[in-house]
Amino acid sequence: MSLWIVVGIVVLIVLWLIMTYNGLVGSRTQAQAAWSQIDVQLKRRHDLIPNLVQVVKDAMGYEQETLTKVIQARNSAVAASAAGPAQAAPAEAALSQATRGLFALVESYPQLKANDNVKQLQEELTGTENKIAFARQFYNDSVASYNVRRQSFPAVLAAPSLGFGPMELFNMPEAEREVPKVALR
Amino acid sequence: MPTTDFVAAQKVNRRNTLILLAVLTVLAALFGYLIGWVVQSEAGDQVAPISSFGVAAAGALALLSIGWSGLSLAFGSRMVNAMSEAREITKDDAPQLFNVVEEMSIAAGVPMPKVRIMETDALNAFATGTSTSNASIAVTRGLLNQLNRDELQGVVAHEMAHIANLDTRYMTVVVVTVGLIALIADITLRSMAWGRFGGSRGSSSDRRGGGNAILIIVLLVVAIVAPLAARAVQMAVSRQREYLADATSVQFTRNPNGLISALAKLTAAAAPFPGVSRATQHLFIVNPIQTFTARSSALMATHPDTADRIARLRNLGG
Repeated sequence: MSLWIVVGIVVLIVLWLIMTYNGLVGSRTQAQAAWSQIDVQLKRRHDLIPNLVQVVKDAMGYEQETLTKVIQARNSAVAASAAGPAQAAPAEAALSQATRGLFALVESYPQLKANDNVKQLQEELTGTENKIAFARQFYNDSVASYNVRRQSFPAVLAAPSLGFGPMELFNMPEAEREVPKVALR
Repeated sequence: MPTTDFVAAQKVNRRNTLILLAVLTVLAALFGYLIGWVVQSEAGDQVAPISSFGVAAAGALALLSIGWSGLSLAFGSRMVNAMSEAREITKDDAPQLFNVVEEMSIAAGVPMPKVRIMETDALNAFATGTSTSNASIAVTRGLLNQLNRDELQGVVAHEMAHIANLDTRYMTVVVVTVGLIALIADITLRSMAWGRFGGSRGSSSDRRGGGNAILIIVLLVVAIVAPLAARAVQMAVSRQREYLADATSVQFTRNPNGLISALAKLTAAAAPFPGVSRATQHLFIVNPIQTFTARSSALMATHPDTADRIARLRNLGG
């Protein structure tokens, strides 16, 4: 009789471990998938920016200070990206800032605003900027719910020994919130 | 209820939908039971409170409902897209729309759905699909032409919310159950009119006395009331899903203003939607058939009043 009670308890514990493990794997996988989406979109932005800068340069006929800044920011972001998105965060934030300056430049030149190539590339870049932001948002939400799950009782008893450590949020420091200045010469 | 917590709002909405679905199922089963009971007592047995015919009929109705739902889930999306003439497009046809849909699929963490366009000046949009991996979002040409990027994003986020919350699956099941109840009620009423049930043929019912006559009257009342009640429940579910999708949309975009100003434009737009069917009206972001007044928040509306939706969105921190 008491043997069966022991067997029953062991079975219950094993079932609980399986459920906890599967739940944690599910939410960790979701966070990891979100992470790779951020990576994809950051690379896409690195590819798009030289095209837009080139088109703007052609349309204006000369190289402008804003453009050089964008290219510099882009190159340092590419260099930093080898270490993974988390380490590259400050460089990517600076690139976002520089891109906003480029958009403001386009806004203030009617000839640029009307240019179809510029319009198309601007839409692509806006889309990519948004995708980065939304991927980051989804990643952070996923990580937050994963962390809550592994720290909740009773999962907290098993999570460390099953190898589920904490995950880090991905924060891109917003350098300055001010409107970027555009020098028109 | 000024709440800024959209997660809590979603939880409440999900619970309400579950309650409503349970009410519908119970309604269908009770109806089946009542019919079985009447049929059994007609056949000359004692009117027993636990009728074997009744249990069988309730079970049969539940099975029929499940089978019918399965068929609708398998073929429903394709039919709706064909009926609405929603044509699938590629990125080159409408790059901005395509980008916005991709952005929202990333925000929602679901696979990229198919993108479709309906060639009409009316302003509207809908989503179909029984799972997140075979979904599609359709918008009208008018919507594409008249909304700015933020507004378009709000509308697409609302449709993405329907996909992420599996609303199309919920609604298909609800619509089928309501249709089934209406059909059974119709058959029952016709049978009564033809005298197959009930006391119109004097002698046979006299033998069984008053208990059966009362049962017949109950069945008559249920056959008239049940379809109306089921329809009211269907509309209530539909309205709940709209509120939930609005809240989820803001969760995705973190920008209530886009959807608020889009809803205002959609309501103000006068362009008619030719060829839209009453059967698909509940799918759209705003009802394509009726124009909205305060009365539309009545019992039989598929959508909540747009002014009310906008007010709730402002409460989310707009």
